[in-house]
Amino acid sequence: MAGMSGKRLQKELAKIQGVLPPGISLVSAEDLREWQMDLIVPDNPIYPPDEKYRLRFHFSTNYPIEAPEVVFMLLSTPERKIPMHPHIYSNGIICLDLLDKQGWSPVHNVESVCISIQSMLASNTKAERPPGDAEFVRSNRSRPRDINFLYHDPTV
Amino acid sequence: MKVTFTAYHAVAEWKWDLPEDSDDTCGICRVQFEGTCAKCKYPGDDCPIMIGECTHCFHMHCISDWLHSESSQGKCPMCRQPFNQKVAEAPAAPLRTPGGVAAGS
Repeated sequence: MAGMSGKRLQKELAKIQGVLPPGISLVSAEDLREWQMDLIVPDNPIYPPDEKYRLRFHFSTNYPIEAPEVVFMLLSTPERKIPMHPHIYSNGIICLDLLDKQGWSPVHNVESVCISIQSMLASNTKAERPPGDAEFVRSNRSRPRDINFLYHDPTV
Repeated sequence: MKVTFTAYHAVAEWKWDLPEDSDDTCGICRVQFEGTCAKCKYPGDDCPIMIGECTHCFHMHCISDWLHSESSQGKCPMCRQPFNQKVAEAPAAPLRTPGGVAAGS
């Protein structure tokens, strides 16, 4: 894969294949363009400790200048649900400032994004979907990075 | 022809003259400052370092790619202060010891 992303992703992959923080694991990184990671959320009754959540990272050739696209995946084998959270839509799209154009910084990496999402889940107290979830999931055709989320409730 | 080095004697090494508590690596490409950005082939003057007023350093090519992107809003990737090149103290710091590594035969 050409461009800036290849070398940087190769470095990240080498590091990730070594040690990762607890509850975060690499599932696949076949062609460096798309990685899958599994998350476990510790110490939050909303998320059973034996339940894993699958994240899909998609990198453009411009990564890390451009943010990766990061979504939760719904799978049947192995079973992976979309975690309940007021900022996670039932189609897996995550509304998180560091993943959008305003909040991204190229010093973030796969590991730091996983840690942020894991801690966003760990500190969550509401087992609910964002307002307007059904309508959004039905009508949205934009890629996650092109959506302008309204950060209606920054306390969550 | 394939050449295999069996030994070499370094006669000089160089380092960028960076602010004291700087990292060793560029936060954008994760390569050492004395190495090259993702696009360059040769380190040193061809791939210089840019130091910000906030004291954060990056390969010049890396930070300029970032600053030209829409998401950057002109901010330092580390501290999100407006990124301005530090002047006065030699912007892209010159090599302290020019020279290189001599390979033994």
